Amino acid sequence: MDPATLILSSLADGPKHGYALTKDIQGFADVRIAPGTMYEALARLERRGLIEPLESSDRRRPYRLTAEGALALGALLDSQRRIADVGLRRLASSTGTA
Amino acid sequence: MNTPERRARLLVCCYPPAWRARYGDEFVQLLVDEMAERPRSPARTADVVRSGLIVRLESAGLTGDALDPQQQARAGLGALGVAASAFLAAGVAIWAQLTIGWQWSAPAAPATRTGMLVMSGAMLGLALLAILGAVPLLWTICRELAGGRGRALVVPLLAVGLGSVTLIAGSIHFGHGWPGTGGHPWAGRDIVPGDVARFCWAATLWIMSYWAHPGTLASFPASEIGWMVVSPVALGAILIGAAKTLRRLQISARVLRYESWLGLAAGAAMAAFLAGAGSWIVSGSPAPRGLFRVGAIDSVGIVVMAAALIVAFRAAQRTLAAHPSRTVA
Repeated sequence: MDPATLILSSLADGPKHGYALTKDIQGFADVRIAPGTMYEALARLERRGLIEPLESSDRRRPYRLTAEGALALGALLDSQRRIADVGLRRLASSTGTA
Repeated sequence: MNTPERRARLLVCCYPPAWRARYGDEFVQLLVDEMAERPRSPARTADVVRSGLIVRLESAGLTGDALDPQQQARAGLGALGVAASAFLAAGVAIWAQLTIGWQWSAPAAPATRTGMLVMSGAMLGLALLAILGAVPLLWTICRELAGGRGRALVVPLLAVGLGSVTLIAGSIHFGHGWPGTGGHPWAGRDIVPGDVARFCWAATLWIMSYWAHPGTLASFPASEIGWMVVSPVALGAILIGAAKTLRRLQISARVLRYESWLGLAAGAAMAAFLAGAGSWIVSGSPAPRGLFRVGAIDSVGIVVMAAALIVAFRAAQRTLAAHPSRTVA
Protein backbone atom coordinates (compact mmCIF):
# COMPACT_ATOMS: atom_id res chain seq x y z
CA MET A 1 0.00 0.00 0.00
CA ASP A 2 1.22 3.47 -0.94
CA PRO A 3 2.48 5.38 2.15
CA ALA A 4 0.69 8.54 0.98
CA THR A 5 -2.70 6.78 0.99
CA LEU A 6 -2.01 5.34 4.44
CA ILE A 7 -1.02 8.77 5.79
CA LEU A 8 -4.06 10.51 4.30
CA SER A 9 -6.32 7.77 5.68
CA SER A 10 -4.77 8.14 9.11
CA LEU A 11 -5.25 11.92 9.08
CA ALA A 12 -8.89 11.52 8.05
CA ASP A 13 -9.98 11.34 11.71
CA GLY A 14 -7.85 14.25 12.93
CA PRO A 15 -4.35 15.78 13.05
CA LYS A 16 -1.38 13.60 14.04
CA HIS A 17 2.39 14.00 14.32
CA GLY A 18 4.92 11.65 12.78
CA TYR A 19 5.14 9.05 15.53
CA ALA A 20 1.35 9.05 16.12
CA LEU A 21 0.92 8.44 12.38
CA THR A 22 3.36 5.52 12.53
CA LYS A 23 1.49 3.87 15.41
CA ASP A 24 -1.98 4.56 13.96
CA ILE A 25 -1.08 3.14 10.54
CA GLN A 26 0.50 0.10 12.16
CA GLY A 27 -2.75 -0.37 14.09
CA PHE A 28 -5.22 -0.24 11.18
CA ALA A 29 -3.08 -1.46 8.25
CA ASP A 30 -0.48 -3.65 9.96
CA VAL A 31 2.20 -1.69 8.10
CA ARG A 32 5.04 0.14 9.83
CA ILE A 33 6.22 3.08 7.77
CA ALA A 34 9.92 3.75 8.40
CA PRO A 35 10.82 7.36 9.40
CA GLY A 36 12.59 8.28 6.15
CA THR A 37 9.71 7.01 4.04
CA MET A 38 7.22 8.75 6.35
CA TYR A 39 8.81 12.19 5.97
CA GLU A 40 9.44 11.72 2.26
CA ALA A 41 5.67 11.18 1.87
CA LEU A 42 4.72 13.97 4.32
CA ALA A 43 6.90 16.49 2.45
CA ARG A 44 5.42 15.44 -0.90
CA LEU A 45 1.83 15.63 0.39
CA GLU A 46 2.51 19.05 1.90
CA ARG A 47 3.98 20.29 -1.40
CA ARG A 48 0.85 19.15 -3.21
CA GLY A 49 -1.35 20.93 -0.69
CA LEU A 50 -3.05 17.73 0.48
CA ILE A 51 -1.92 18.16 4.10
CA GLU A 52 -0.74 21.13 6.16
CA PRO A 53 1.38 21.49 9.31
CA LEU A 54 -0.09 22.88 12.52
CA GLU A 55 1.64 24.96 15.16
CA SER A 56 3.14 22.95 17.97
CA SER A 57 4.64 23.77 21.34
CA ASP A 58 7.26 21.02 21.00
CA ARG A 59 9.09 19.25 18.18
CA ARG A 60 6.19 16.83 17.51
CA ARG A 61 4.56 18.87 14.75
CA PRO A 62 1.08 17.62 13.85
CA TYR A 63 -0.31 17.57 10.30
CA ARG A 64 -3.91 17.74 9.18
CA LEU A 65 -5.79 16.95 6.02
CA THR A 66 -6.69 19.97 3.84
CA ALA A 67 -10.02 20.21 2.02
CA GLU A 68 -8.19 19.32 -1.18
CA GLY A 69 -6.57 16.38 0.59
CA ALA A 70 -9.95 15.11 1.79
CA LEU A 71 -11.30 15.24 -1.77
CA ALA A 72 -8.21 13.48 -3.15
CA LEU A 73 -8.42 10.76 -0.47
CA GLY A 74 -12.14 10.23 -1.16
CA ALA A 75 -11.49 9.85 -4.90
CA LEU A 76 -8.52 7.55 -4.29
CA LEU A 77 -10.34 5.24 -1.88
CA ASP A 78 -13.40 5.18 -4.13
CA SER A 79 -11.23 4.08 -7.02
CA GLN A 80 -9.54 1.43 -4.87
CA ARG A 81 -12.95 0.18 -3.65
CA ARG A 82 -14.17 -0.21 -7.25
CA ILE A 83 -11.03 -2.16 -8.14
CA ALA A 84 -11.39 -4.30 -5.01
CA ASP A 85 -15.09 -4.94 -5.80
CA VAL A 86 -14.28 -6.06 -9.35
CA GLY A 87 -11.42 -8.27 -8.17
CA LEU A 88 -13.50 -9.91 -5.43
CA ARG A 89 -16.47 -10.43 -7.76
CA ARG A 90 -14.29 -12.08 -10.41
CA LEU A 91 -12.53 -14.18 -7.80
CA ALA A 92 -15.88 -15.34 -6.44
CA SER A 93 -17.19 -16.26 -9.90
CA SER A 94 -14.06 -18.21 -10.83
CA THR A 95 -13.70 -20.10 -7.54
CA GLY A 96 -17.34 -20.18 -6.52
CA THR A 97 -16.60 -18.45 -3.21
CA ALA A 98 -17.20 -14.91 -2.05
CA MET B 1 22.99 15.51 24.54
CA ASN B 2 21.78 11.93 25.03
CA THR B 3 22.70 9.11 22.70
CA PRO B 4 19.40 8.73 20.72
CA GLU B 5 19.33 12.49 20.17
CA ARG B 6 22.92 12.45 18.94
CA ARG B 7 22.32 9.45 16.70
CA ALA B 8 19.17 11.04 15.30
CA ARG B 9 20.94 14.32 14.57
CA LEU B 10 23.72 12.39 12.85
CA LEU B 11 21.18 10.59 10.63
CA VAL B 12 19.47 13.85 9.69
CA CYS B 13 22.78 14.94 8.11
CA CYS B 14 21.84 12.60 5.23
CA TYR B 15 19.40 15.31 4.09
CA PRO B 16 20.27 18.61 2.35
CA PRO B 17 20.42 21.81 4.46
CA ALA B 18 17.16 23.29 3.12
CA TRP B 19 15.26 20.12 4.02
CA ARG B 20 16.86 20.04 7.48
CA ALA B 21 15.85 23.66 8.09
CA ARG B 22 12.21 22.80 7.38
CA TYR B 23 11.81 19.24 8.74
CA GLY B 24 14.97 18.62 10.77
CA ASP B 25 13.65 19.16 14.32
CA GLU B 26 10.42 17.22 13.90
CA PHE B 27 12.24 14.43 12.06
CA VAL B 28 14.79 14.17 14.88
CA GLN B 29 11.88 13.87 17.33
CA LEU B 30 10.32 11.06 15.26
CA LEU B 31 13.65 9.23 15.23
CA VAL B 32 14.06 9.69 18.98
CA ASP B 33 10.55 8.31 19.54
CA GLU B 34 11.32 5.37 17.26
CA MET B 35 14.62 4.70 19.06
CA ALA B 36 12.84 4.68 22.41
CA GLU B 37 10.72 1.81 21.10
CA ARG B 38 13.40 0.03 19.07
CA PRO B 39 16.90 1.24 20.04
CA ARG B 40 18.72 -0.53 17.19
CA SER B 41 17.33 -1.01 13.70
CA PRO B 42 19.62 -1.35 10.68
CA ALA B 43 16.51 -1.24 8.44
CA ARG B 44 15.54 2.14 9.90
CA THR B 45 19.05 3.51 9.35
CA ALA B 46 19.07 2.21 5.78
CA ASP B 47 15.66 3.80 5.17
CA VAL B 48 16.86 7.20 6.41
CA VAL B 49 20.03 7.03 4.30
CA ARG B 50 18.01 6.02 1.20
CA SER B 51 15.45 8.73 1.80
CA GLY B 52 18.15 11.35 2.38
CA LEU B 53 19.76 10.39 -0.93
CA ILE B 54 16.39 10.68 -2.72
CA VAL B 55 15.79 14.14 -1.24
CA ARG B 56 19.32 15.22 -2.19
CA LEU B 57 18.77 13.99 -5.76
CA GLU B 58 15.45 15.87 -5.84
CA SER B 59 17.07 19.07 -4.61
CA ALA B 60 19.77 18.62 -7.28
CA GLY B 61 17.00 18.47 -9.89
CA LEU B 62 17.86 14.89 -10.84
CA THR B 63 14.65 13.18 -9.81
CA GLY B 64 11.16 13.69 -8.45
CA ASP B 65 8.97 16.77 -8.64
CA ALA B 66 10.20 18.70 -5.61
CA LEU B 67 11.16 21.85 -7.49
CA ASP B 68 9.34 24.37 -9.65
CA PRO B 69 10.52 24.49 -13.28
CA GLN B 70 12.85 27.46 -12.76
CA GLN B 71 14.48 25.84 -9.72
CA GLN B 72 14.52 22.50 -11.50
CA ALA B 73 16.40 23.97 -14.45
CA ARG B 74 18.95 25.71 -12.25
CA ALA B 75 19.44 22.72 -9.96
CA GLY B 76 19.81 20.50 -13.04
CA LEU B 77 22.49 22.80 -14.42
CA GLY B 78 24.32 22.73 -11.09
CA ALA B 79 24.20 18.92 -11.04
CA LEU B 80 25.40 18.85 -14.63
CA GLY B 81 28.31 21.12 -13.74
CA VAL B 82 29.32 18.95 -10.79
CA ALA B 83 29.04 15.75 -12.86
CA ALA B 84 31.07 17.29 -15.70
CA SER B 85 33.71 18.44 -13.19
CA ALA B 86 34.00 14.95 -11.68
CA PHE B 87 34.28 13.57 -15.19
CA LEU B 88 36.96 16.09 -16.10
CA ALA B 89 38.97 15.49 -12.92
CA ALA B 90 39.15 11.76 -13.66
CA GLY B 91 39.50 12.29 -17.41
CA VAL B 92 42.21 14.92 -17.22
CA ALA B 93 44.24 12.72 -14.86
CA ILE B 94 44.22 9.90 -17.41
CA TRP B 95 44.64 12.13 -20.44
CA ALA B 96 47.58 14.06 -18.94
CA GLN B 97 49.46 10.83 -18.18
CA LEU B 98 48.92 9.57 -21.71
CA THR B 99 49.89 12.80 -23.43
CA ILE B 100 53.03 13.04 -21.29
CA GLY B 101 53.80 9.47 -22.35
CA TRP B 102 53.44 10.54 -25.98
CA GLN B 103 56.02 13.29 -25.34
CA TRP B 104 58.52 10.46 -25.02
CA SER B 105 57.25 8.17 -27.71
CA ALA B 106 54.10 7.62 -29.78
CA PRO B 107 51.97 4.67 -28.64
CA ALA B 108 52.59 1.44 -30.53
CA ALA B 109 48.96 0.28 -30.62
CA PRO B 110 46.78 1.97 -33.28
CA ALA B 111 43.79 1.67 -30.91
CA THR B 112 45.65 3.69 -28.27
CA ARG B 113 46.68 6.31 -30.84
CA THR B 114 43.09 6.61 -32.10
CA GLY B 115 41.76 6.67 -28.56
CA MET B 116 44.13 9.47 -27.58
CA LEU B 117 43.22 11.52 -30.63
CA VAL B 118 39.52 11.11 -29.80
CA MET B 119 40.16 11.99 -26.15
CA SER B 120 42.16 15.09 -27.12
CA GLY B 121 39.46 16.21 -29.56
CA ALA B 122 36.77 15.68 -26.91
CA MET B 123 38.85 17.59 -24.36
CA LEU B 124 39.17 20.50 -26.78
CA GLY B 125 35.43 20.36 -27.42
CA LEU B 126 34.71 20.40 -23.68
CA ALA B 127 37.01 23.39 -23.20
CA LEU B 128 35.19 25.29 -25.99
CA LEU B 129 31.80 24.38 -24.52
CA ALA B 130 32.96 25.54 -21.07
CA ILE B 131 33.95 28.93 -22.54
CA LEU B 132 30.66 29.21 -24.47
CA GLY B 133 28.75 28.32 -21.31
CA ALA B 134 30.69 30.67 -19.06
CA VAL B 135 30.25 33.81 -21.17
CA PRO B 136 26.50 34.44 -20.61
CA LEU B 137 26.81 33.42 -16.95
CA LEU B 138 29.69 35.84 -16.38
CA TRP B 139 27.67 38.55 -18.12
CA THR B 140 24.69 37.83 -15.83
CA ILE B 141 26.95 37.92 -12.76
CA CYS B 142 28.44 41.27 -13.83
CA ARG B 143 24.93 42.67 -14.38
CA GLU B 144 23.79 41.48 -10.95
CA LEU B 145 26.86 42.94 -9.24
CA ALA B 146 26.59 46.24 -11.13
CA GLY B 147 22.90 46.47 -10.23
CA GLY B 148 23.70 46.05 -6.54
CA ARG B 149 21.78 42.73 -6.37
CA GLY B 150 24.79 40.48 -6.05
CA ARG B 151 25.46 40.50 -2.32
CA ALA B 152 24.52 36.82 -2.02
CA LEU B 153 27.00 36.02 -4.78
CA VAL B 154 30.06 37.51 -3.10
CA VAL B 155 31.02 34.56 -0.87
CA PRO B 156 30.55 31.84 -3.52
CA LEU B 157 32.38 33.97 -6.08
CA LEU B 158 35.24 34.46 -3.63
CA ALA B 159 35.40 30.68 -3.17
CA VAL B 160 35.56 30.21 -6.95
CA GLY B 161 38.20 32.93 -7.28
CA LEU B 162 40.46 31.74 -4.48
CA GLY B 163 40.11 28.10 -5.55
CA SER B 164 40.93 28.98 -9.17
CA VAL B 165 43.98 31.09 -8.27
CA THR B 166 45.27 28.34 -5.99
CA LEU B 167 44.71 25.60 -8.55
CA ILE B 168 46.21 27.53 -11.47
CA ALA B 169 49.22 28.89 -9.56
CA GLY B 170 49.92 25.53 -7.90
CA SER B 171 49.54 23.58 -11.15
CA ILE B 172 51.95 25.92 -12.95
CA HIS B 173 54.45 25.66 -10.09
CA PHE B 174 54.28 21.90 -9.59
CA GLY B 175 54.02 21.24 -13.34
CA HIS B 176 57.63 22.38 -13.61
CA GLY B 177 58.60 19.79 -11.04
CA TRP B 178 57.76 16.80 -13.18
CA PRO B 179 61.03 15.30 -14.37
CA GLY B 180 59.63 14.18 -17.71
CA THR B 181 58.40 17.47 -19.15
CA GLY B 182 59.92 20.34 -17.22
CA GLY B 183 61.93 22.42 -19.69
CA HIS B 184 62.63 19.55 -22.07
CA PRO B 185 63.09 20.36 -25.73
CA TRP B 186 60.66 17.70 -26.91
CA ALA B 187 57.60 19.79 -26.06
CA GLY B 188 55.61 20.04 -29.24
CA ARG B 189 56.35 16.51 -30.48
CA ASP B 190 53.05 15.34 -29.03
CA ILE B 191 49.53 16.11 -30.22
CA VAL B 192 49.26 18.38 -27.18
CA PRO B 193 51.76 21.09 -26.13
CA GLY B 194 53.96 19.94 -23.24
CA ASP B 195 52.97 22.93 -21.10
CA VAL B 196 49.32 21.92 -21.27
CA ALA B 197 50.13 18.29 -20.51
CA ARG B 198 52.21 19.05 -17.43
CA PHE B 199 49.73 21.65 -16.17
CA CYS B 200 46.95 19.03 -16.34
CA TRP B 201 49.21 16.44 -14.73
CA ALA B 202 49.97 18.76 -11.80
CA ALA B 203 46.32 19.79 -11.39
CA THR B 204 45.28 16.14 -11.00
CA LEU B 205 48.37 14.91 -9.17
CA TRP B 206 46.19 13.90 -6.21
CA ILE B 207 44.36 11.29 -8.33
CA MET B 208 46.82 8.47 -7.86
CA SER B 209 46.92 4.97 -6.46
CA TYR B 210 49.80 5.81 -4.07
CA TRP B 211 47.21 6.84 -1.46
CA ALA B 212 46.79 3.09 -0.94
CA HIS B 213 50.57 2.69 -0.55
CA PRO B 214 51.63 5.09 2.23
CA GLY B 215 55.23 3.86 2.11
CA THR B 216 55.65 4.95 -1.51
CA LEU B 217 53.69 8.13 -0.92
CA ALA B 218 56.03 9.10 1.92
CA SER B 219 58.93 9.11 -0.53
CA PHE B 220 57.38 12.11 -2.34
CA PRO B 221 58.70 15.58 -1.42
CA ALA B 222 56.67 17.14 1.40
CA SER B 223 55.67 20.06 -0.82
CA GLU B 224 54.14 17.69 -3.40
CA ILE B 225 52.24 15.80 -0.70
CA GLY B 226 50.98 19.16 0.56
CA TRP B 227 49.88 20.05 -2.97
CA MET B 228 48.05 16.72 -3.25
CA VAL B 229 45.99 17.76 -0.22
CA VAL B 230 45.52 21.43 -1.19
CA SER B 231 44.60 20.92 -4.87
CA PRO B 232 41.44 18.82 -4.29
CA VAL B 233 40.38 21.30 -1.60
CA ALA B 234 40.80 24.13 -4.13
CA LEU B 235 38.83 22.14 -6.71
CA GLY B 236 36.10 21.53 -4.12
CA ALA B 237 35.94 25.26 -3.33
CA ILE B 238 35.53 26.03 -7.05
CA LEU B 239 32.77 23.46 -7.44
CA ILE B 240 30.81 24.43 -4.33
CA GLY B 241 31.21 28.14 -5.08
CA ALA B 242 30.07 27.66 -8.69
CA ALA B 243 27.06 25.56 -7.67
CA LYS B 244 26.00 28.12 -5.06
CA THR B 245 26.48 30.98 -7.52
CA LEU B 246 24.32 29.18 -10.05
CA ARG B 247 21.57 28.62 -7.50
CA ARG B 248 21.54 32.26 -6.39
CA LEU B 249 21.85 33.83 -9.82
CA GLN B 250 18.80 35.24 -11.59
CA ILE B 251 19.23 33.47 -14.90
CA SER B 252 16.88 34.23 -17.78
CA ALA B 253 14.90 31.42 -19.40
CA ARG B 254 16.78 31.93 -22.66
CA VAL B 255 20.17 31.48 -20.98
CA LEU B 256 18.89 28.43 -19.10
CA ARG B 257 17.77 26.81 -22.34
CA TYR B 258 21.08 27.72 -24.02
CA GLU B 259 23.06 26.22 -21.11
CA SER B 260 20.90 23.09 -21.21
CA TRP B 261 21.70 22.52 -24.89
CA LEU B 262 25.38 23.11 -24.18
CA GLY B 263 25.04 20.55 -21.38
CA LEU B 264 23.73 17.96 -23.82
CA ALA B 265 26.59 18.77 -26.21
CA ALA B 266 29.02 18.40 -23.29
CA GLY B 267 27.44 15.00 -22.59
CA ALA B 268 28.17 13.97 -26.18
CA ALA B 269 31.78 15.16 -25.87
CA MET B 270 32.15 13.27 -22.59
CA ALA B 271 30.77 10.13 -24.25
CA ALA B 272 33.35 10.53 -27.04
CA PHE B 273 36.13 10.98 -24.47
CA LEU B 274 34.98 7.85 -22.63
CA ALA B 275 34.93 5.91 -25.90
CA GLY B 276 38.50 7.07 -26.58
CA ALA B 277 39.61 6.02 -23.11
CA GLY B 278 37.83 2.69 -23.63
CA SER B 279 39.76 2.18 -26.84
CA TRP B 280 43.03 2.62 -24.95
CA ILE B 281 41.95 0.34 -22.10
CA VAL B 282 40.75 -2.40 -24.44
CA SER B 283 43.88 -2.25 -26.60
CA GLY B 284 45.79 -2.91 -23.39
CA SER B 285 49.17 -2.35 -25.01
CA PRO B 286 51.67 -0.55 -22.76
CA ALA B 287 54.26 -0.25 -25.54
CA PRO B 288 56.62 1.38 -25.97
CA ARG B 289 58.52 1.23 -22.65
CA GLY B 290 55.35 0.78 -20.57
CA LEU B 291 54.39 4.41 -21.15
CA PHE B 292 50.75 3.52 -21.83
CA ARG B 293 50.21 0.90 -19.15
CA VAL B 294 46.67 0.70 -17.74
CA GLY B 295 46.78 1.00 -13.94
CA ALA B 296 44.17 0.31 -11.28
CA ILE B 297 43.60 4.04 -10.83
CA ASP B 298 42.75 4.29 -14.53
CA SER B 299 40.06 1.62 -14.18
CA VAL B 300 38.62 3.51 -11.22
CA GLY B 301 38.74 6.70 -13.31
CA ILE B 302 36.78 5.02 -16.11
CA VAL B 303 34.07 3.94 -13.64
CA VAL B 304 33.89 7.48 -12.20
CA MET B 305 33.62 8.95 -15.70
CA ALA B 306 30.87 6.51 -16.70
CA ALA B 307 28.86 7.36 -13.57
CA ALA B 308 29.41 11.10 -14.09
CA LEU B 309 28.33 10.79 -17.72
CA ILE B 310 25.04 9.13 -16.72
CA VAL B 311 24.36 11.86 -14.14
CA ALA B 312 25.27 14.62 -16.62
CA PHE B 313 22.91 13.31 -19.32
CA ARG B 314 20.13 12.85 -16.77
CA ALA B 315 20.65 16.40 -15.45
CA ALA B 316 20.69 17.92 -18.95
CA GLN B 317 17.53 16.05 -19.93
CA ARG B 318 15.69 17.17 -16.80
CA THR B 319 16.88 20.75 -17.25
CA LEU B 320 15.45 20.81 -20.76
CA ALA B 321 12.26 19.01 -19.66
CA ALA B 322 11.67 21.67 -16.99
CA HIS B 323 10.67 24.17 -19.74
CA PRO B 324 11.92 27.14 -17.70
CA SER B 325 10.49 29.56 -20.29
CA ARG B 326 7.00 28.91 -18.95
CA THR B 327 7.79 30.40 -15.58
CA VAL B 328 9.59 33.52 -16.64
CA ALA B 329 7.78 36.61 -17.81
